[in-house]
Amino acid sequence: MNENLFNSFTTPTLMGLPIVALIIFLPNMMYPSPSRLINNRLTSLQMWLVQLILKQLMTVHNIKGRSWSLMLISLILFIGSTNLLGLLPHSFTPTSQLSLNLGMAIPLWAGTVILGLRNKMKKSLAHLLPQGTPTPLIPMLVIIETISLFIQPLALAVRLTANITAGHLLMHLTGNATSTLITLSPPTTPTIFTLLVLLTMLELTVALIQAYVFTLLVSLYLHDNT
Amino acid sequence: MPQLDTSTWFTSIMFMILTLFIVFQLKLLKFNYYLNPMEKPVKLLKPKSPWEKKWTKIYFTPSQLPH
Repeated sequence: MNENLFNSFTTPTLMGLPIVALIIFLPNMMYPSPSRLINNRLTSLQMWLVQLILKQLMTVHNIKGRSWSLMLISLILFIGSTNLLGLLPHSFTPTSQLSLNLGMAIPLWAGTVILGLRNKMKKSLAHLLPQGTPTPLIPMLVIIETISLFIQPLALAVRLTANITAGHLLMHLTGNATSTLITLSPPTTPTIFTLLVLLTMLELTVALIQAYVFTLLVSLYLHDNT
Repeated sequence: MPQLDTSTWFTSIMFMILTLFIVFQLKLLKFNYYLNPMEKPVKLLKPKSPWEKKWTKIYFTPSQLPH
């Protein structure tokens, strides 16, 4: 049962060919490229959404930080659409793979840190020491702040992986429980079924929220460093 | 846990980088946000007088400079 439960999280390969490439590429096909002055409804809706996200996300940054806007918008669209597509039954969610999330988190975080160190070296190093600390505590606090800095990419990746994996696992388990309980004792089935429905709604919100949180945190690190 | 099986990590990361950094961004670059057409203000289209059309610079010789 243990092996069976985690089977949906193995990277799909068909006789050695990585199909995961096609699955990662799929959300991109959901966004048609606009080719007219006034586009169809789907494209217009997506363009409006992108503009909304852009305004919400990038007004805090200065000119230097806004050069990251393409990266951040593509990040939030990728994570959001991948998470939502993963809620379909029997589908594979690429963002549940630790490899992918680490591959997204580490370069982006490292980019913001290196940007800060190159352009505003004193100010970015000054983030390592909070204001108003008593002098004897300074060495210890610098160590603590450095550790918390280095944990940021790990936390970004593991947060996304754990949230998506846990949600999917919970849905699998309650689904299995519902289908076995139908045969064993029908009166308990509505309770478990409502739980499943609530879980699905939670997962929908979690999918979107995780995308938002990831992008927001990267944007925050960027703001600190520009 | 199958997520910790590092044999597939390389392919996943490569294709993710390709999709995220290249394909998605190329698609987003095609999102053009056009400005609505605006009327040209007629008042500013005053015709220029002939001496304003040509820009001439007057040079002083060193002897002619006002002292």
